[in-house]
Amino acid sequence: MPDIDTIKTEAKRLLQEGVVEVVVAFKAGDTPMHPQPAFFSSPDEIDQLVYSGLCQNNLASFLTRLPKEKKIGMVVRGCENRSVDALIVEKQKSRENLYLIGVPCEGIIDWRKIVEMVGEAVLAVEENAHLVTVETQNGRFALERSILLHDSCSRCAHPNPMSADILIGEALPEGDPSLARTALEEFEALSSEERYAWFQKEAERCIRCYACREACPMCFCEECFVDHIEPRWTESGATPAGMQGWHIVRAFHQTGRCTSCGACERACPMDIKMTYLTEKLNHDMRKKYNFEAGLDVQTQPPFATVTLDDKNRFVVS
Amino acid sequence: MSPKPRIALFQCQWCLFSQSDQEWVDTQLPENIHLTKTPCTGRINPLYILNAVQGGADGVMICGCLPEQCHFKTGNMGARRQLEEFNDFLDYTGYDKARIRFVWLDLQDRGIIQKQLASFEQELEVLGPASNLVTRVKVAEGGPDA
Repeated sequence: MPDIDTIKTEAKRLLQEGVVEVVVAFKAGDTPMHPQPAFFSSPDEIDQLVYSGLCQNNLASFLTRLPKEKKIGMVVRGCENRSVDALIVEKQKSRENLYLIGVPCEGIIDWRKIVEMVGEAVLAVEENAHLVTVETQNGRFALERSILLHDSCSRCAHPNPMSADILIGEALPEGDPSLARTALEEFEALSSEERYAWFQKEAERCIRCYACREACPMCFCEECFVDHIEPRWTESGATPAGMQGWHIVRAFHQTGRCTSCGACERACPMDIKMTYLTEKLNHDMRKKYNFEAGLDVQTQPPFATVTLDDKNRFVVS
Repeated sequence: MSPKPRIALFQCQWCLFSQSDQEWVDTQLPENIHLTKTPCTGRINPLYILNAVQGGADGVMICGCLPEQCHFKTGNMGARRQLEEFNDFLDYTGYDKARIRFVWLDLQDRGIIQKQLASFEQELEVLGPASNLVTRVKVAEGGPDA
C-alpha cells in the first residue's frame, strides 16, 4: 500500500505552493466501507484525505465537471490515469492544468463481496497487501485480498499510473493482458440464443438510474442521447426495449474510449454486469486497430480516424 | 402466405449514380421496404440501426459508396469502422449478424440494388421474423412519437 502520509504531504504542498487550486481525492465516508470523493481546496482540509482499496469511484469523472481552466491536483490509480489521458486526447482538459499524484493500485475491493462473505453489518475494515480484516459485532475476520477484488480489477493489465507527475510507492509488476479476455470467454462460448437470454436477464434489471453513466469518466456529454426529447432517440422509461437500447448504446459509445476501470459496474445499484459488453469492444479495438484507450495522449481513438488501409479491411458484399 | 420480411433500407444519396436506379428506389420500392435516405453513410448513427431493429424491422440494409468514391472523401470509411463494429456488437449480444447487410456500390454499377434487395429478402424469408432484441412499445395514434 502506498504511504498515506506521503500522499498527504504532497497534496498539502500542491495547495500551499499554489500549484493547484483543488485536490481531488477521497475522504472517509459515513460508513466504513464507503470512502467518498472529496475536493480539498485548502491545505488544512488535507488531514481528512484517505486512500484505501475501498475507494470505488473513478475520480477522472469529476474532471469534466470542473471548469476547464481550473488547476486540478488528483490522486490517480492506473485506470484513473488512463481515463485522464483519454480525456486529454478528446480535448476535455489540458495536461498543463493537471497535477497527477500517482499511486500504484493493488486492485479495488468489492464491498459487495465482503458483505456477502461476512453476512452482517461491517463496523471497521483494515487492509494490507494480502489481507483484509473486517470487524463485525461477532468478531474479526481476516479475508484474503485477492478473492475480494472487483472483477475488472482482477484482470487489470496496467495497475501503475503511466503519466503521473509523481509516483508514490513502488511500481507494481504489469498485469497479464490476456486476462482481459476472461470476461468474454464465458459469454462467447454460448450460442446466440443463450447470449441473448443472458443479455436480456442483465438488461431487464435496469432501473434507468444512469449511475453507470455518472460514474463513467468518458460519459461527459452535456446531453445524453437518452435525455434527448426531440427527436426521441430511444425509450427513456424502464421498458424492455428502452433498457436493452440503453445498455447497447451506452457500451457502444465507449468503443475505443473505455479504459476498463469498471466504475460503471461498481456504481450499479442493481449489480448488473456491464463490463462483458465494453470488454468485447475493447478487445475488438485491440485486435482490429491495435489500440488501447489512455495509453498515450496523442493517438486518436479508431472511430475518430480513418486510413485508406480500411478499404481492404471489411468484407464487401 | 406469410407476410414479406420488413426491411429498413439506409441509402447514401450519392451511391446510386444511375438515375434510373435512384428513381426506382425513390418511387417504386415495394411496400415492405422502408427507405431512409442520408447525405452519406457517415451520417448513419448506429442508433438509427438500433431504432430500425427495435422498430420492428426484420432486416437492415445499408447501402453506400466504395472507398475513395465518397462524395465527402472519407465519410464512408468512418461509417465502415463504426457500423461494422456495431453489427459485430449486436451479434455478440445475440442478434443475428445476417440480418444487417452492407452493400458497397461502385458508382459505375447499374441495377445492382434491386438484385441485392431481392437476395436479402430471400435470405430474411429463410431466417423468419426477427425475435431477438425486443421491439419498442407501440405508441397510440396521435400520441408522442416515441
